Amino acid sequence: MHTEHKVDDPPTMHDVDSPGAMFLVFLVVLGLAVANILLATTGLGKLALPVQLGIASVQAVLVAYYWMHMRRGDQVVTLSALSSLFFVFIFYVLVLSDVLTRWRIAM
Amino acid sequence: MSANHHGEVLKHHFDNLEQQHAAERLGMWFFLVTEVLFFSGLFVAYTVYRNWYPAEFAFASSHLILWIAGVNTGLLITSSLTMTLAIRSAQLGDRRALIRHLLATFVLGAGFLGFKALEYYTDINERFVPGVMFRTELAKAEEELAASHGAAGHHGTAQHWAADLAKNNAGKSYTDPGYISPGRVQLFLCFYYIMTGIHGIHILVGLGCILWLVQQAAAGKIPRENYSTVEVVSLYWHLVDMIWLFLMPLLYLAGAGTHAAGH
Repeated sequence: MHTEHKVDDPPTMHDVDSPGAMFLVFLVVLGLAVANILLATTGLGKLALPVQLGIASVQAVLVAYYWMHMRRGDQVVTLSALSSLFFVFIFYVLVLSDVLTRWRIAM
Repeated sequence: MSANHHGEVLKHHFDNLEQQHAAERLGMWFFLVTEVLFFSGLFVAYTVYRNWYPAEFAFASSHLILWIAGVNTGLLITSSLTMTLAIRSAQLGDRRALIRHLLATFVLGAGFLGFKALEYYTDINERFVPGVMFRTELAKAEEELAASHGAAGHHGTAQHWAADLAKNNAGKSYTDPGYISPGRVQLFLCFYYIMTGIHGIHILVGLGCILWLVQQAAAGKIPRENYSTVEVVSLYWHLVDMIWLFLMPLLYLAGAGTHAAGH
């Protein structure tokens, strides 16, 4: 629910979530979790990992955007969230660029 | 809004409540960034070893208890919903609904930990634990397999995972294709126990925070103007939920569809 809001107003009503939207997000996130399990049992082979992580990422985006209120567009919050993703990206790129290209002794 | 509550809630170093709430949210987000970095180190390590040892990770994963992971996923997602409803109740100044939603979140979170405890109990009972338990159970399964050659209908007493592993590796050396290294299976189990254990500790901390919120709400210390107290805890709770949404497929679905699951 969005109503006109001024800085000096009590900031309690300008961004109250509607129950309908909350339940819709709940159903989608839950449905994706069920889909993830069902898809995995069908044996996706090499596609399994990207599909599973893709579904988990969509769930995470929904949770962050709606339930963690990133949709409010608070710029410093968005910057914080993106900075954590950037560091995760660095972790993965630096480690995997070595691991995936280095010659390994067969064990 | 009552002027009294405004004065009680607004800290002297903020200009207004909106600024205060924004600062509180940002502080929690900074903390969440460190949490993401903490868990991402584990995720990167997991990715590397899964890439190196896909067969062993699939084997071990297929012997975890998928139905418990599924139920726990449902519990956590539902708890995130009730937590969001708690924020709404706080924003609307509905104290009874706030307490009700917080208690529902607590029960769902505690249910998660209960099922997790049941899972650990089953795993330990089945000796599916890296180290001495694993080695002795596998050795037992190998002895039973050797003794059963030619004896139709022989049923050993070794746990199903150990029997499966012994049967898979029978007559193979570690360089043969299809051989599943017991050491690498134990490596997966280390990831499983460490990642789910740390996640469980986070749930426990979250439950403590929720109980504190219930106490505060019952004491009338969460008026509408102070709803961000609930929101800040909810941010933490949602992140813990979000981390589980990644842990579940990585740990429990790595072997789904590739081996006959043990449970």
